[in-house]
Amino acid sequence: MSIDHRAGAHGERSVGNTAGSSDLAPTREQLAAMSHAELDMLGARLDDTEVVVLSNPPPPGSIAEKRAERQVALCFGLATLFAFAFVIVFWGAGWFLPDWEYDVGGSAFGALFTPLLGLTMGSALAFLGIGIVLWAKKLMPHEVATQGRHGGASDPVDAQTAGGTIMAGFARTGLARHNIVRRSLLGAGGALGLLALVPLGGLIKKPGRELVETSWEAGVRLLRDDGTPVRPADMLPGSLETVFPAVERGNRQADAATMLIRLRREQVDQIQAPPGQEDFAWEDYLAFSKVCTHAGCPVSLYEQETGRILCPCHQSQFIVTEGARPVFGPAARALPQLPIELDDEGYFVARSDYPEPVGPSFWNREK
Amino acid sequence: MTLSKPESGAARRRRRRLRRKLSRAAALLATLIVTGGLYAAMAPGSVAEDAADSNAVEAGRELYEQSCITCHGSNLEGVSDRGPSLIGVGEASVFFQVSTGRMPLARQGEQAFRGPVTFTDDEIDQLMAYIQANGGGPTLPSGDLRDGELAAGGELFRLNCASCHNFAGRGGALSSGKNAPNLSEASDLQMYAAMLSGPSNMPVFGDNQLTPEEKRAIINYVQTLAESTDPGGLGIGRAGPVPEGVVIWLLGMGVLLIGVFWIGSKA
Repeated sequence: MSIDHRAGAHGERSVGNTAGSSDLAPTREQLAAMSHAELDMLGARLDDTEVVVLSNPPPPGSIAEKRAERQVALCFGLATLFAFAFVIVFWGAGWFLPDWEYDVGGSAFGALFTPLLGLTMGSALAFLGIGIVLWAKKLMPHEVATQGRHGGASDPVDAQTAGGTIMAGFARTGLARHNIVRRSLLGAGGALGLLALVPLGGLIKKPGRELVETSWEAGVRLLRDDGTPVRPADMLPGSLETVFPAVERGNRQADAATMLIRLRREQVDQIQAPPGQEDFAWEDYLAFSKVCTHAGCPVSLYEQETGRILCPCHQSQFIVTEGARPVFGPAARALPQLPIELDDEGYFVARSDYPEPVGPSFWNREK
Repeated sequence: MTLSKPESGAARRRRRRLRRKLSRAAALLATLIVTGGLYAAMAPGSVAEDAADSNAVEAGRELYEQSCITCHGSNLEGVSDRGPSLIGVGEASVFFQVSTGRMPLARQGEQAFRGPVTFTDDEIDQLMAYIQANGGGPTLPSGDLRDGELAAGGELFRLNCASCHNFAGRGGALSSGKNAPNLSEASDLQMYAAMLSGPSNMPVFGDNQLTPEEKRAIINYVQTLAESTDPGGLGIGRAGPVPEGVVIWLLGMGVLLIGVFWIGSKA
């Protein structure tokens, strides 16, 4: 197509395969005399495009046109009003309108502020869009344009000259000859690539013992979230307390969160401790990891009558009296049990860390 | 008489002893009367109250025998597979179960749900008195139950309650058809009683685990949440991001699709 354009400009060369277009090319004088609409149609013809008008807008001055105009203008007017309303709500709050800051029991405006902003801005944008669509639908002609399909491969002359441009350009850079430039550039490119790889290093880390150990160890007290230790007399039968290890920022360690549960009296007789964990409980107190063995969610929906612990994420259920064995849902392993005893002052302490890693399985977990 | 003729020493002594005895008796009588009168004056209601209490216990027993005895047994010992023993549950538990309409239970099911209240406030008091008189247990608090620090209440709520009752107190599902109820209908006293008594599957929060101040802070937080308006507009049941996503997918995408069809339709 561009060749045609050049052909018109230079008036000498007549190369190209755009059949039927070169004979349409007008002279300079003809071009100057054409209207915008005629130029538009000429451009379409040169592009092998045919425009079919399906329907025209209502004739100028008709009632239908006036009505369409009013509809479009109404939409744009509403968009304007809502945009102004947005500005008024935004700047007016706290000035001539009530303060926007939300306050419990405060003015209703505080609760309405955000919705009002959304409503006014949303309405302004929506009415602008509706107006544009109405405008296009009711006041513009509806046309369908069809364009002829060109042949598959490019003209051999075009292909050869394009290739020549690239290769000649590369030759002019002299990279093939200036070995030192080429090699140093390769060096710089490689080093920059290495530089981009460095941040990835932070993502690759050997976890060490972090996955299999928690901060619990022998003699570490069980603390509440507020840092107070727990005595057996503090909890009533059928209660649960979330406890953390008595170490620095222990209540911020996600893997150390533990549920200390005191069973109901009748549940004590139903205890069936798993092998090797018979002495993990202290009388009617049991402590289990709060991290679900399926996907690591906090499991603290404790049903004190049924003795079940529920996980809110995927509905796994664990039965406390049987070593927190999973009885429902996707979790396959029991919640790890923390062995507990009392220290000299009568507060609960851990007897050791959990006997197995807490939380979901990972690649080299032993069991 | 004393002037006319002198009496014998023995007769005089006898009369003096008699007078002393009489005066002692009179003094004792006077002391008793004064003490009794003073006691009656200082503690006027106690006798009447004792009587009222025993009346309440008696009335509570009658109510119990009409409405509760089938499942909880004739001596509050419970009936297996029907109802638990009520010995030691205390008036807090009775208040929670009866004032929320959970008891008397209409039929056995997975859990007692909130429902229409069967008894009047007076009758609930009588039932509470009867259960409290037989085994004791946690009692109801008095005073302003929202007298606690709001922010601390929020922390405690999220740590201890939100796992089952949802972070906005809207409740949630438990196993096998049971649920943790929505807290928006619960009164201050009902919440306090629930924490004290651990109804149904809810864990108990004794006063050594959550102090009365902490309980009041939690109640303050829950009730403040329930009473506050939604600052973001539509709350959608305050059930969290999932229903919010569903609404925006179904409603928002629906509106967008209608718009797309309208734009693309031929005039």
